Amino acid sequence: MFKTQVMEINMGPQHPSTHGVLRLKLGLDGENVKSCYPIIGYLHRGVEKICENKAFFQGQVWTDRMDYCSAVSNNLGWAEALEKLFGIRVPRRARYLRTMLNELNRLNSHLVWLGTHAMDIGALSVFLYTWRDREKILDVFEAFCGSRLTTTAMRIGGLQEDVPEGFEKMVRDAFESVRIGIQEYETLLSENRIWLKRTVGIAKLSADDCLAYGVTGPILRAAGVAYDIRKAHPYAAYDEMKFEIPTRTEADTYARYLVRLEEMRQSIHIVEQCLEGLPEGPVMAKIPKTLKSEVGEVYHPTEAPKGEIGFYVVSEKGGVNPYRFHIRTPGFLNVQAIPLMLQDALVADVVTAVGTLDVVLGEIDR
Amino acid sequence: MPEMTPVQTLLIAIIQIVLVIAFVFVVVPLTIFAERKVLGFVQQRLGSTRIAGKLRGITGLQNRFMWGMGRFPIIHYFRGLPGLVGDIVKLFIKEDIRPAKADRFVYLIAPCVSMIAAMLVYAMIGFYPGTLFTIPSFIPLIGGLPVGGTIADVNVGLLMLLGIASVGVYGIVLGAWASNSKYPLLGGLRSAAQMVSYEVPLTISMLTPVILAGSLNFNEMTRVTATGLSPWGVIPLFIGFFAYITCGFAESNRLPFDMPEAENELVAGYHTEYSGMRFGLFYLAEYINMSIVAALASAFFFGGPWLLPFGLQRFIPETAFWIGQPHWYIFAVKIVFFLFVYIWVRGSWPRYRYDQIMDVAWKYLIPMTLVNLVLAGIVRYFA
Repeated sequence: MFKTQVMEINMGPQHPSTHGVLRLKLGLDGENVKSCYPIIGYLHRGVEKICENKAFFQGQVWTDRMDYCSAVSNNLGWAEALEKLFGIRVPRRARYLRTMLNELNRLNSHLVWLGTHAMDIGALSVFLYTWRDREKILDVFEAFCGSRLTTTAMRIGGLQEDVPEGFEKMVRDAFESVRIGIQEYETLLSENRIWLKRTVGIAKLSADDCLAYGVTGPILRAAGVAYDIRKAHPYAAYDEMKFEIPTRTEADTYARYLVRLEEMRQSIHIVEQCLEGLPEGPVMAKIPKTLKSEVGEVYHPTEAPKGEIGFYVVSEKGGVNPYRFHIRTPGFLNVQAIPLMLQDALVADVVTAVGTLDVVLGEIDR
Repeated sequence: MPEMTPVQTLLIAIIQIVLVIAFVFVVVPLTIFAERKVLGFVQQRLGSTRIAGKLRGITGLQNRFMWGMGRFPIIHYFRGLPGLVGDIVKLFIKEDIRPAKADRFVYLIAPCVSMIAAMLVYAMIGFYPGTLFTIPSFIPLIGGLPVGGTIADVNVGLLMLLGIASVGVYGIVLGAWASNSKYPLLGGLRSAAQMVSYEVPLTISMLTPVILAGSLNFNEMTRVTATGLSPWGVIPLFIGFFAYITCGFAESNRLPFDMPEAENELVAGYHTEYSGMRFGLFYLAEYINMSIVAALASAFFFGGPWLLPFGLQRFIPETAFWIGQPHWYIFAVKIVFFLFVYIWVRGSWPRYRYDQIMDVAWKYLIPMTLVNLVLAGIVRYFA
């Protein structure tokens, strides 16, 4: 008369903690997750196709809107890919400023991640604290390029403008509060019993699985693989910077939390090096008014806050727009790992897993 | 005092009930406002300062009024207060949506069950020591009769209170099941397990002061815990208090135990499908439960409602100004303190996972309270 049945439940696309419009089809046996099937595509705008139909320099605004928490990283990857394609050498000052902006952006992205992740687990206040510190970094962006989120910070060949006056002081002031902020998050969370219970050993993803699924970024580093494109294939001015790649071996949510916190500290360190060693000179290379391409093909990976973001551009002879434009976004590959992370999990762990992956649907669906 | 006729008793009770309901409907919105403000303080923001809505019409008028309040120095801080009126009006005039396949009858009564169970507990709580006021003699039928500070001064107050409080879970479970929706169902299952589990350590921990005082009667119990407690009795009382407040958090579904409505997992848990005033009833019931847990914590573990906690009362001469005699404002201060703790905890801690909550109840709280009960017995035997 009675039979047991797996309850199918749709988490998303409208749900408080799927970070946008991720849809997870869960099979539940009571509280236990029996199956999980992520469904994406609700935010698809065809960024790649649009970029193929626009002139080379017009693509940048679309990269802003992919991962809206780390627009500068996307801009940087895009600009460097095209510079590689056209063989443009970027002035040293511009490379330094790019590095600096990129690391500020990493801080921003990690702050957003920490806030939303902590709120998913129930710590309401951390969210507001990270937002407070993030505000300072957004102010820096605003001073630099007039825009806070969709920065459009780069140009092919360098930067549109030099930094404004008083920029250095602004950055240092921002760091003052971010440093104190990181301390605060650590006191609130790192040794909090409930936080430990909710994160230690949850949503594990081993190094082998990471490599098999193409998962990159802090998740890979938390599994013990010290792969960071900033060190492995240096770009911008990273070859002149001294920094460490934080790694852990536990491969769980807590390890990723620690890795990201340490990355934030390293970012501050890198930006300070940039400020100290900032060379004089122009910020823009001499490039022709219109860019006409030769036959070529280029793939350029950079380390975005969420993992490897790669721009693959194919060009034809005399073309003013890319022939083929493909973006390898970190979130797209990371989100595949959710079912793997959710073996023997409970409903609450689904939220933790989504949070720890730091998914932004803008870049997954693009 | 002459014996009261049944009609007179009834009329007096009705006066008391009206007063209690008025009290609840003043205190609960104030709690909500306090929650917004305290959370705002914890999270470095302003808290509520305006209401959502258009710039025209009623909401516009109200927002302009609240904006105007912002110009005065102290009133400035409380300019979110009229917004509560807006919130309540919104709850009343909002469309009441019922899911098409919901079980109509159960769906409609479930919020009422929650609310009634929460309100009924107030019948046993003594708000004021002795007589509240005497009805003026020119009023016919009940003129000259005293109105007491407690609606029902029951001998087995504790038993009745626990019995009624445990009915509250039915509202949640029934509402969740009747919604015929999956998220509420999960929330309902969680709350059934959680609230039933936590009822056990809650009850055992409340037995500690009963054993120490040797009586189920509230007055006797408060007298003993406030003045007649042996120094050793403080230890079981404190452990009991710790267990009690933990269970109280779980019973009123507040962070870190807000499983039934875990926002980030289950959208809104058991009341996902509810809207308008039916949701409002669940919402009110939660806050009423909070204040009840706070009131009972002060009554049982903090030296009774109207006296100073920690046995301090015996060092104060009875003629001392304000704190020498039992007074309602000591009760009020205690309740406000516990409500603040509620909000404070909500601002600082993450949420437990469902199975971990069960672990806390069955592996830690129940053994702890049982051992504590034995300890209280030993103290009682030798003291």
